[in-house]
Amino acid sequence: MKSKISALIDSELPRAEAGPVLDALRADEEARDGWRRYHLIGDLMRDERMLSSGFSARVAERIEREPSVLSPAPMARPAARAPAWTFALAASLAVAFVGGSTFLMLRPEAEPPVPMAQKAPPQEAVAQVAPPDKADDYLLAHQGYSPRNNLQGIAPYVRTVSGESRGPAR
Amino acid sequence: MRALGLALAFCSGFCAAQPQSDPAAEPLALLRRVYQATEKLSYTGTFVYQQGERTETSRITRIGGPVEFIERVEVLDGVRREIVRTRDAVRCYLPESRTVKVERRVGQRAFPGMLPEQVSELARHYSITRGEPARIAGYDCAAVVLTPKDDLRYGYKLWADAGSGMLLKARTFDRRGETVEQFTFVQFSIGSVPRERARPRHPVQTWRIDETAVVPANLTGAGWSVQADLPGFRKVAEVTRRLGEARSVGQVVYSDGMAAVSVFIEPMSGRDDVLRPGPSSLGAFQIYTRAVANHVVTVVGEAPAASVQRIASRVEYRQPQGQ
Repeated sequence: MKSKISALIDSELPRAEAGPVLDALRADEEARDGWRRYHLIGDLMRDERMLSSGFSARVAERIEREPSVLSPAPMARPAARAPAWTFALAASLAVAFVGGSTFLMLRPEAEPPVPMAQKAPPQEAVAQVAPPDKADDYLLAHQGYSPRNNLQGIAPYVRTVSGESRGPAR
Repeated sequence: MRALGLALAFCSGFCAAQPQSDPAAEPLALLRRVYQATEKLSYTGTFVYQQGERTETSRITRIGGPVEFIERVEVLDGVRREIVRTRDAVRCYLPESRTVKVERRVGQRAFPGMLPEQVSELARHYSITRGEPARIAGYDCAAVVLTPKDDLRYGYKLWADAGSGMLLKARTFDRRGETVEQFTFVQFSIGSVPRERARPRHPVQTWRIDETAVVPANLTGAGWSVQADLPGFRKVAEVTRRLGEARSVGQVVYSDGMAAVSVFIEPMSGRDDVLRPGPSSLGAFQIYTRAVANHVVTVVGEAPAASVQRIASRVEYRQPQGQ
């Protein structure tokens, strides 16, 4: 398994074999530990810059607050890279915590230097975005062709116009 | 093995002795009755719509037959909304914003009904079985379950009044069996009421009117290639229309007879709202937004997110020949 994790990090693992390894990473703490360690080794070997302590908590907090802005990976290429990014960040953070030293001070108001990509865990569906502005117009235009009208008459139209419970218009 | 064969032989012999040998025949017949009842009956009632955390009660009235009719639904909870449908137009009254959205169909049969052969076709992509009877809003109901044969569509459980065939409860469920949305009548009565009861009483003279004429179109000829690529989903409409106040959009609709997915195509220029590519959802609808050839493609469907995304990913544009 360890050699496979290493190969996965280096993008050398055939795609067919990547699935089980990613599953193991999700399920198995020991595998994840290996994953972090390989990244840590890689980072040290490449002499990559470390981040300040508390960085991960701040990033996590920002991710919580911020809507996803980047488009998801195209369908043809499932999220094979995004997990690597996620874990690479985790590995860097682990270093920051272990070292406890401050290499790079980030101002609290500074934008996180990482692109927003996927909140979802590896292999989950692509990140959701907020529905389009004026989405009700699309729903109403669509409803006229819904076969549900033949089954239920006008009743299904109640789905197409916002109620309060849908939250504020975006 | 032999015992099994014997059992099967016995069973088939037993079943053949019953008046109906095809197990799907009876639920299909019930389904046909539902379509006919929806098209023919006059009725009034109150139903509850549930979706996620949302629960809304609405009052519904229908007067008329298959051709000349008026249908009105008024949402009683939350923001006031009222929708009225007649043979050739749908009007959506929004008192809060003093707006009425009007949609007219031009040059096409306004709201095509379900043909009997289309009902049988449903059996290709859903296994149609009989469900447990239940009592709903005081009526004894028969139930029919449409379980999808793949992951591309939702399942449905429908309860109809055994006497009139009127659909009194409908539940949509996903592949894990969890409810996507549900309609349930809490009060229902068959019979005509004075036409005034179905007429909206808003002072629309002072309201803003967003009027849309929906016109048949040829988007393929304009260079757009939209392929449903989902088994059982066929193109049922290809139109141009306005959306909201000003935007002119193309719309292609695919349907498998129970679910429909719309593909909207509109020029990027002139849009004042932010483009957010990717999947989203609103209520029971799944949405997928993409930019293609300087246009915004928005796919909206009452189908699982993966199906909506699959249709969105197949939208392409090629410069038409000779231009």
